Amino acid sequence: MKTKSKAAAMLLMASTLLVSSACSSGNETKSNEPSDNPSPSATSKEDNKNTTETDSKKIKMRVITLTTDENRNNIMEKFIKPNIASALPNLEVEFEPGGGGEDMANKLKTLNASGDMPDVFWNDAGYFTPLKSTGSILDLTPYISKDGFLDKYAVPDALKHVDNGIYSLSSGADTYFTPVIFYHKDMFEEAGVQVPTTFDELIQISKTLKSKGMIPAVTPGKDGWGPKLFMLQQMIQIGDPQAMADLVSNKTDFNNPSVKEGAARIETLVKEGVFPDGIANIDYGPAMEMFTSKKAAMLWMFTWELPNLAKDETVDFFPFPSASDKYSPTENVQFWGSPINGYAVNGKTKNPEEAVKLAEFLAMADALYFESTGAPISLQTGNQAMDRSPLMQKFVDWYNPIPNKIASFALNSLDARTSAEISTQGANLLTGEYAADDFNVAMNKIWSENTWFDK
Amino acid sequence: MNKYFSTKVSIFVFAFPALLLFTLFCVYPLLPEIWMSLHKHDGFKNLGFVGLNNYKEVMASPSFWTAHKNTYLIVAISLLLGLPLSMMLSLFIDAQTPKFRRFFKTVAMFPAILSVTVVAQIWLAFYEPNWGLFNEILHSLGLSSWTHSWLTEKKTVMPSIGVTFLWQYIGLNALLFYTGIKTIPKSYYEAALIDGANYIQVCLRITIPLLQNVIKYVLILSTLGSMAFYSHVRVMTAGGPGDLSRTVIYQMYYTAFDTSEFGKGTAIAVIFILECLLISFVIQRYVAREKLEF
Amino acid sequence: MSFKGTLPEKNWSFKLEGSFLKLLSRVFWVAVGCTFLFPLYWMVTMSLKSKSEAYDNPFGLPTSWDWLNFSEALSKYHFYTYFENSVIYTTGTIVITLATGSMLAYCLSRMQWKFNTVMLFYVSMGLIVPIEVVVIPLFQLVKWMQIKNSHLGLILPYSGFAIASCVLMLYAFLRSLPKELEEAACIDGANVYQTYIKIIFPIVMPALVTQCVLIFIRIWNEFPLAFIIASKDQFRPLTVGLLGFFINVGVTDWGLIGASMLLSSLPMIIVYLIGNEKIENALTAGAILK
Repeated sequence: MKTKSKAAAMLLMASTLLVSSACSSGNETKSNEPSDNPSPSATSKEDNKNTTETDSKKIKMRVITLTTDENRNNIMEKFIKPNIASALPNLEVEFEPGGGGEDMANKLKTLNASGDMPDVFWNDAGYFTPLKSTGSILDLTPYISKDGFLDKYAVPDALKHVDNGIYSLSSGADTYFTPVIFYHKDMFEEAGVQVPTTFDELIQISKTLKSKGMIPAVTPGKDGWGPKLFMLQQMIQIGDPQAMADLVSNKTDFNNPSVKEGAARIETLVKEGVFPDGIANIDYGPAMEMFTSKKAAMLWMFTWELPNLAKDETVDFFPFPSASDKYSPTENVQFWGSPINGYAVNGKTKNPEEAVKLAEFLAMADALYFESTGAPISLQTGNQAMDRSPLMQKFVDWYNPIPNKIASFALNSLDARTSAEISTQGANLLTGEYAADDFNVAMNKIWSENTWFDK
Repeated sequence: MNKYFSTKVSIFVFAFPALLLFTLFCVYPLLPEIWMSLHKHDGFKNLGFVGLNNYKEVMASPSFWTAHKNTYLIVAISLLLGLPLSMMLSLFIDAQTPKFRRFFKTVAMFPAILSVTVVAQIWLAFYEPNWGLFNEILHSLGLSSWTHSWLTEKKTVMPSIGVTFLWQYIGLNALLFYTGIKTIPKSYYEAALIDGANYIQVCLRITIPLLQNVIKYVLILSTLGSMAFYSHVRVMTAGGPGDLSRTVIYQMYYTAFDTSEFGKGTAIAVIFILECLLISFVIQRYVAREKLEF
Repeated sequence: MSFKGTLPEKNWSFKLEGSFLKLLSRVFWVAVGCTFLFPLYWMVTMSLKSKSEAYDNPFGLPTSWDWLNFSEALSKYHFYTYFENSVIYTTGTIVITLATGSMLAYCLSRMQWKFNTVMLFYVSMGLIVPIEVVVIPLFQLVKWMQIKNSHLGLILPYSGFAIASCVLMLYAFLRSLPKELEEAACIDGANVYQTYIKIIFPIVMPALVTQCVLIFIRIWNEFPLAFIIASKDQFRPLTVGLLGFFINVGVTDWGLIGASMLLSSLPMIIVYLIGNEKIENALTAGAILK
């Protein structure tokens, strides 16, 4: 299944290159480029050569974007590289890999501290506030209202930050990402267990799965990834969605009994052996592999992996089961997006107009990619809607009607320090050697020092 | 003669380029660090002078002390376990037939030339709790109760990383020792042989004392090397679980970059440099002071 | 220099009492020696495995040999450019460090300068400053000097950091040399520069080779500074160029990781295997400190 997708990707890449080289017939340097070598900078370097020869007036742009996950690489190779020259002929764009996560944040921080920010970059909640305070991030509202890009969004208001500015452009695919529990139907059958509807049932079936020699569930735990990004939030909201919504908007804290129960549930999960040994040090890749190779029966993961996982017919998903009657999976759900995640423009760029155009192009490339995977997006590409896989259809049918969508705690409530400390504390919880009470005491202190809501 | 060579011009020509490079790139960057450590600084901009507050807050944080405990544990492992093992290996190499000796000399330095990423990845696979090599071996020996989730348990995480570090550099240190052993004149041994001393006595009475200079050199290198221990932790556990495997340098990075408190991060850096200065001073001053002539 | 053991072979028997102990220690160290070779085995086998096999069978021999990983690793990443850059950074640093460092060491050890002791202490502080601590000020400095977009942007900081250990080692080495060396040259009428180049430089060669190796190990594998400073594609060294592989290992597949690891470590391994006798020779020179 993996090799198939790779072959398909190669084919697609080769054909796009073929098409683009056919289009630019007479452009010798480009057609000399071997078609099995669609490497990013080779192409852009060749382009540079052309441009200096033919048109020296091109405006130089520097872009730093995410480069570490599979989706991002696909977007770069299939949607950005092949089309950028024709879409933005007056620009000479240099892409700089940003890595991801911590590396990306460190890099942007260093660049910002030395006044060397790129023209366009991937913005993230982790470094948004300080970037804004130094004027390194542009309010895009006037630009995108004027050129009509704003109208391409299904819900334009969703782009607005709390201060009503628009700082980032994205495909809107983010708002359709939510954590669910993926599982292998055949493994459940083999163990003779049903999809659980309550938290207690979840524990029960995990014990059964474990007794059959399977790993019940896996999720990335290294550096507290899972706990920070969704697990804590899920474990709180399956008991009391209102408490979770209040926490996201800073109306309550870690003294709230409903909030405290969240950490206690994680402790229970770990103690009851729902996760494999060493979950606190399992990275994203190995966690995925444990599930796709059927060592683990369940994978707790965001739906951005759904298109990949849906290729295996035994994979299905269910929402997080409830722990009290205050919660129902058809009434409440966590959504991922944040208006500040997306392509942002440097407030100090020399060519804001062109930089915004570039950001728009990049956001559209994202949209085209996610659309091609069958994922729902909110930036309209003007293409016909694609056929969705049954699993994606099942997801959309479940997700869209849910009335109460709670924003992600990790993206919408934490300053850099709080975010880092939650990672630390969350990883601690996963060791099973750290009591939920200690977690809540520590979190309360960290939460009281959170500067996110200071404005 | 020395006077003839030591004109002002020649001293300048010989000393200036290196001193310039060193001062500019190694010493000068410390000044903004010290300045930053006295300010509240988020990595983006200066938020005002705070005096020694950063230092106070850093010292009051439990993570800072966990990081110290871990760092000194690594130092202890590499000195108390690593150096004796390296010494044994070097003595062992010395006692081999030329063919074997060649093999060991070639192989010993091998892990040290590889990048930490490669080494750490291999050991990650060894320590994997569900199907990693170590637990598999323990299971097959019927010692299932000895298995651990090596990198996520409080008790085992730091020693496990320490072993990786130890393994990577044991051979390099052994080679350094061995090259020292080679320079010991044979006449010393012949005298001991006549006295009827056995192998261990020879090692303890002749070889090791005569190696003092090399030992001191390796001691300083290993101490400072393990003080700055960081890369293995980053790849293997990302300082986790929680803050359990952070070292001082890791804590500095975490504070500066992850929590955006550059003031505090640089305060840790300054404390760290002072510690290293102190330690190397102590070693220079009190360990193996006398120069041995042979 | 003799590479024979310290003791004549015939005295072998006295070294370890009892053949059991001898056997035990030999078995132990041979096992350890094999583990030293394990990474090489692991990289080679890993690079020949398909993605799924690498997870299912992490330590065994590959069931089928999959050479595709290499061609894919080579084509997906600008291996040759990155490789060239790594070579430039490493040799550049070695040349600059050895040239300036040996001169300073010579000055401190053999010339009459009243600041000799002070300067020696000053330089030895460099051993303690980890490069990671000063990444931000270094970046600003490199930018200010306008060498960010050139190879010098990394070579000069690397050299600055490598100088301390180079000077200290050569200082110790030079001090152990007899004074007559220069006196003879002096009588022949050579000046200090000629003496340095014609007489001193060849003599310190073994120590220089040691430094060469140590710097090579350090620079070839350096990541944190290169990641920040060498941002343009045409200046990236291997470590940064393979970022996608090395940082988020696991997201992509292990066969590719193995192949790229092997490709990027290969120069190190080759240099080591060729120069191993020399390196060992040089270590001897380096180990005789003070």
